[in-house]
Amino acid sequence: MEQGHGVPGRVHGISALTAGAYVSVSKISKVFATRQGAVEALAEVSFGVGEGEFVAILGPSGCGKSTLLMMCGGLETATSGRIAIAGTEVSGPRDSIGIMFQDPTLLPWMTVLDNVLFPIRILRRPLRDHLDRARELLDIAGLGGFELSKPHQLSGGMRQRVAICRALVYDPAILLMDEPFSALDALTRDEMNVALLDIWERNRKTALFVTHSIREAVLLADRVIVMSRRPGTIIEDLRVPFVRPRDFSLGGTPEINGICEHLRSLIGRTQRAPGVST
Amino acid sequence: MTVAPAPAGRWDEPILAVVLPLASAAVFLFLWQAVVTLAGLPEAILPPPLAVLGQFFASLPELLRQARVTVLDSVVAFAIATAVGVALASCFTFSGTLRDAVYPNLVLLQLIPKIALAPLFVVWLGVGAPSRVIFAVFISFFPIVLSTATGLAATDAYALKLCRALGASPWQIFIRVRVPFALSHFFTGLKIATTLVFIGIVVGEFISSNAGLGHYILLAGAGGATSRIFVGLIALSLSGLAFYGAVVAAERLVQRWWWE
Repeated sequence: MEQGHGVPGRVHGISALTAGAYVSVSKISKVFATRQGAVEALAEVSFGVGEGEFVAILGPSGCGKSTLLMMCGGLETATSGRIAIAGTEVSGPRDSIGIMFQDPTLLPWMTVLDNVLFPIRILRRPLRDHLDRARELLDIAGLGGFELSKPHQLSGGMRQRVAICRALVYDPAILLMDEPFSALDALTRDEMNVALLDIWERNRKTALFVTHSIREAVLLADRVIVMSRRPGTIIEDLRVPFVRPRDFSLGGTPEINGICEHLRSLIGRTQRAPGVST
Repeated sequence: MTVAPAPAGRWDEPILAVVLPLASAAVFLFLWQAVVTLAGLPEAILPPPLAVLGQFFASLPELLRQARVTVLDSVVAFAIATAVGVALASCFTFSGTLRDAVYPNLVLLQLIPKIALAPLFVVWLGVGAPSRVIFAVFISFFPIVLSTATGLAATDAYALKLCRALGASPWQIFIRVRVPFALSHFFTGLKIATTLVFIGIVVGEFISSNAGLGHYILLAGAGGATSRIFVGLIALSLSGLAFYGAVVAAERLVQRWWWE
């Protein structure tokens, strides 16, 4: 592999980076107890995310990347280690976090607008103050005019766009996305990447994006963290050099292909490593 | 002119779906009438349909009076069964320990022929309406609690995760997410319960009562008035149908709210 070429700005010296970061993940380990014995999912993972930075976490399935994301959201606990957001340790869910799953998780009996406003109701904030923001987000997401539709009347991509709006409506400081587009077909997925890029560039949030698509990670993120197979460790932390706002036609350039090729070889290496075959 | 091939869904299919069962029922009634008339069976053994029809209109005021008693008791029993069933199922979602302790026993109880316990309720609660109503509650609340509990537990896992991520309280999750998700299961239980509640009330009326359709049928049987037994049955079926229809109508309303 032509590793030197097109692989700019490696981020090393992780501990130094973690210290002042907006989201700091330090020495996180996770051991699951299963019937076959203890399974180590994550081994001393450390990294930091700057405020307003878009970080993609890339790795093979079962590397613990989703678990890690859920820990940042306070939905999972670590066996050891510490995660802090803006200097405060994460001990449970908090309203500064917007979350997206692989499934859009829309409530079928609610209209699109009510689905977007669902977090406002749960957080007991005044609906009236957020109505305009909800409508504005739906407009940006290309869903203007669908406010009163029910989820089953929308396509898969439209539903996931509603989910993006719902995650942003209460203006969380951090956006956590757990393979949000992996259930969509390839064309819709590209379309969703463009939509997310557009929405995110207008509402710069600190974003953590878990995916197993190399291209998606490189196109969307400022930084790509690559994780190894179980037990998950960080094997690469790469800065993506492209300026924002990004043009999606970037997809075909040699520069991006170089980066993708480099990441692919890294992931391929972990998959072929002895003792980790599944 | 060319002849078009027959389309897959024929226009008369929905009409046939109504006409065919009606036609077979009509044939059955006609045969019944013919057999009774031709064989000269005495009316006390098997009255012909036309005689039953005549009897029905002749006894209509009396039937309405008796049906009123049965239906009112059933409605009260149904309301209590629904309240108890939903309350218990809700408790299960808030306390896993309670669910683990009680739920298997409910499933087991569901399997015994509860109808055989009717005399026990007369022993405990006397021969009045309360014993009939409580007995009907007893046999009809099982499907409500079981299906509602199933529905409340069947909430989409991602929806629950979303709620947890937002720091929703158990009560918020219950009201805003679990209950709407449970509604279709809940109505399944209700529909089964409507039939059971009628069975419970009528069995109670058989055992001890001085009014109601069950009582009417029992008296007719004792007096050898066979056509009045049939007339009582018709009134009972119509009441049960109306009751079931009301529950289905409520379910439709909820489905409209869900999907439209």
